[in-house]
Amino acid sequence: MTKEELELLKSKIRKKYIIGTIIATIIGIVLMILTLNPALLIIIIVMSVIVLSLITSGDVEKYKTEFKNIYVLNALSKIFDNLDYKPNRGINASLIRNTKMMNMGDRFSSNDFLSGKYKNINVVQADVHIEERHTTTDSNGNTQTTWVTIFMGKWMIFDFNKSFKANLQVRQKSFSNATLNNWFSDDKYTKVLMEDQEFNKRFKVYAQNEHDAFYVLTPSLMERIKKICDNISGSLLFCFINNKLHVGLANNCDSFEPSIFKKTNEEEIMNSILHDIKIITDFIDELNLDNTLFRREVQ
Amino acid sequence: MDSGTLIIIIVAIVLLIAIFYITVSNSLKRLSIKVDEALSGIDVALTKRYDVLTKMIDVVKGYVKHEKETLFEVIQLRSKMTLKEKSEANAAMDENFKKLNFLVENYPELKASENYKTLQNSISDVEEHLQAARRLYNSNVSLYNQKIEVFPSNIVAKAMHYTKKDFFEAEESKRKDVKIDL
Repeated sequence: MTKEELELLKSKIRKKYIIGTIIATIIGIVLMILTLNPALLIIIIVMSVIVLSLITSGDVEKYKTEFKNIYVLNALSKIFDNLDYKPNRGINASLIRNTKMMNMGDRFSSNDFLSGKYKNINVVQADVHIEERHTTTDSNGNTQTTWVTIFMGKWMIFDFNKSFKANLQVRQKSFSNATLNNWFSDDKYTKVLMEDQEFNKRFKVYAQNEHDAFYVLTPSLMERIKKICDNISGSLLFCFINNKLHVGLANNCDSFEPSIFKKTNEEEIMNSILHDIKIITDFIDELNLDNTLFRREVQ
Repeated sequence: MDSGTLIIIIVAIVLLIAIFYITVSNSLKRLSIKVDEALSGIDVALTKRYDVLTKMIDVVKGYVKHEKETLFEVIQLRSKMTLKEKSEANAAMDENFKKLNFLVENYPELKASENYKTLQNSISDVEEHLQAARRLYNSNVSLYNQKIEVFPSNIVAKAMHYTKKDFFEAEESKRKDVKIDL
């Protein structure tokens, strides 16, 4: 699909919405006058939005996918080597589950899978949504099930250029739903207090081995982690496992999503996409994951 | 107040003191054990550093046979060294490493050799482990020292004859010398 065809598709969807909303409003106003019930207008408009969403869902999905294939893929391919980007595919839940550091809830969905190399560092990332089923029963015995989001944001996996034996978790105190499999594991995690008091105030550190916690978390890395947390919106979870760094960013955002109703402005689109990409690359740039000196830094 | 109530109050106070004493003494023991464990971590890291440095010196000595003998400090690691002796051994290793780097600068071929590069990578990793062990030890010593200095735990610490422990210091100038630039 070309950019022009994509624009036509967007116009088609918008037209459907505009016509549908006008018709619904007219019907609503007529019914309201006939019944003298203003609530009908609101009900009709709400219903029309639901119906229109259902009618256009196929086109909207197609538009989003094609938008990502044209704009997002183009931007990503300029930044990542060996790029594999699948807008409709997600990260495998087992990759997160196997860390044993995240509550996996009852429902898992993921999209915008990206795999590639940035500054020669392997990166895997995807948008992730984890929900928990909450069931309530009223006095009449009726049960109601609701889905509560426990994680929405990005899950990223980077190469970590330092070998360590024991697993380590660094959790921003505002990050909820991180877990540690401490009951049935041979290697129990212990809470580690670092020498940096400010770091201890903002983060919780759990490690299977205290020495490895100090080996991985050098004073400069702790400073960089604090800096990255200052500059990012959302809460962070860092899992250092098998020489990989898993980062969970709970920011309640779905990245690379286009707006149907906004007028197409290529510069704005690219800026928005680059902003989303920068969130990923910042971890490599800011944490110096690509720097070989990172391995050898001496306090 | 009847004598029964008085006895109950006295027993309760004694019990509270006993619980406090046991809790603090256990906490002090745990911290002391952690300090000892961290110290053994320093021993392991120092030994590794010594081994790699010795290998590096051997490689360099073999390569620069024709040069005037470069005087490396003789370092001996013994078991049951005091913290001061460990610090001195570490400082001596820093000095040797400084000499080694200075010498190798004159031999670009040696510097570029795979064998030497591997040893350089090893020493940098060992350095990091030593720094980690030192920081962990000092962090535990800091917690331990706070515990035996701060009221009311200092009362129990005094009764158990616990004394302040020394930090494992690395001199700033020495730390700079250790930094390797490839």
